[in-house]
Amino acid sequence: MRGREFFLERYSMMGRSLTGDEAAPPAIRVNSLRAEDGEVFEVLTDNGVALKKIPYLDHGYVVEHTEFSLGATLEYLLGLYSLQEAASQLPVQALAPGPEDTALDMCSAPGGKTTQMAAYMMNRGVLYAVDASRDRLYAVENSLERCGVANCLVYHGDAERIELGAAFTKILLDAPCSGNYVTDPEWFSRRSLRDVEANAERQRRLLSRAVGLLERGGRLLYSTCSLEPEENELNVQWLLENHPVDLEPIASPGTPAATEAFGVELDPKMSLCRRLWPGDGTQGFFIAEAVKL
Amino acid sequence: MRLLKRLLRDLNSGLSPREDEVVRINDQYFTLGSALRVREGLVYAGCYLGRDRRLFEPSSILLQALASEPGTRKAHVDRDTAWLFVCGRDIFQVNIASVEGELSLGSHCLVMYGGRCVGYGRYETAGDQRIIRNLFDLGDFLRREA
Repeated sequence: MRGREFFLERYSMMGRSLTGDEAAPPAIRVNSLRAEDGEVFEVLTDNGVALKKIPYLDHGYVVEHTEFSLGATLEYLLGLYSLQEAASQLPVQALAPGPEDTALDMCSAPGGKTTQMAAYMMNRGVLYAVDASRDRLYAVENSLERCGVANCLVYHGDAERIELGAAFTKILLDAPCSGNYVTDPEWFSRRSLRDVEANAERQRRLLSRAVGLLERGGRLLYSTCSLEPEENELNVQWLLENHPVDLEPIASPGTPAATEAFGVELDPKMSLCRRLWPGDGTQGFFIAEAVKL
Repeated sequence: MRLLKRLLRDLNSGLSPREDEVVRINDQYFTLGSALRVREGLVYAGCYLGRDRRLFEPSSILLQALASEPGTRKAHVDRDTAWLFVCGRDIFQVNIASVEGELSLGSHCLVMYGGRCVGYGRYETAGDQRIIRNLFDLGDFLRREA
């Protein structure tokens, strides 16, 4: 159970006709810890970069044209902006951690969303970041430094088991997932339904741990860049059935998540979650927000 | 801490991190609010100051803090010069647009572009030229990831 036709047929059964060749334009996020949007827009535009504001993002711009790598400019090195695809800016924007929060990024590498959380927190409160891969944490450390983040504690460890000695008001679980074909040209030949199910199982363990780390009334933002319902709606259904949480509406583009998946009826509240499909200007993404009861 | 203190002195900085607030992880130094307790597995802790090498390599965060101090020596340059500097090049005297503080031979200064710091160097003689010798620049981010 793999291959291009197999997966495209699944998406079709979910009501989305896709070609498998959809692409997403590159995007940047202005780092509000270091710069105003206008300054970054002006300096990049003056240097020949064509940017367009993404209307639903606080600090996101589509890169319509550039003659050089935006990952090697003075402004990038100064931390004035980060390279971050549009859909991947939505989870933190929806979670909106603030200066009063004790927040956790459970699977933080490579650090784009961690630095975004610090920006929303205005470098105040306390932000914990965890990742199981020491090698990938070097990228997190570099991003934190480059972006001027000063409120973050980074731990090397498995988020399924790590003890941090804190109860959290906001948790981002941008879970390791199967990904989607927009960001990986080899995706269809790499992935099978078995991978999807293995990832879904691990995601459920992470979801359980996240609820355990959350204080009552705290908010959990669960996201993946997978299109597969096993990693998205079916996991959120499992979360609702096994933990004291309720779903919250999310201000985000995209479509309501599915309330039925391959013949399985799901909680009607599932429609509060959002799906972003390839072809609508971003890569594929799924976002759910839950509050601990 | 010895190399960090030396760097701050060389740049005429008034900053003086309290040793009891500094967390050291391997060769890296951080400042951390005292209310936070650290646990096993910590790899990064709050405000990163930099790391010990042959000289102290200041973090971008420390460089911007130094840049905001009125008393530190600064050499302001244009965009092209700043770019060559972050590529590891030295700066010829002719390419220094303006200076804050007294720049004498052997003294250290921050290299500034657009009000922000892109690194630091030492004012020296090279042949018959006066230069700012590159001691550290933000291009280090790219070199680390290469």
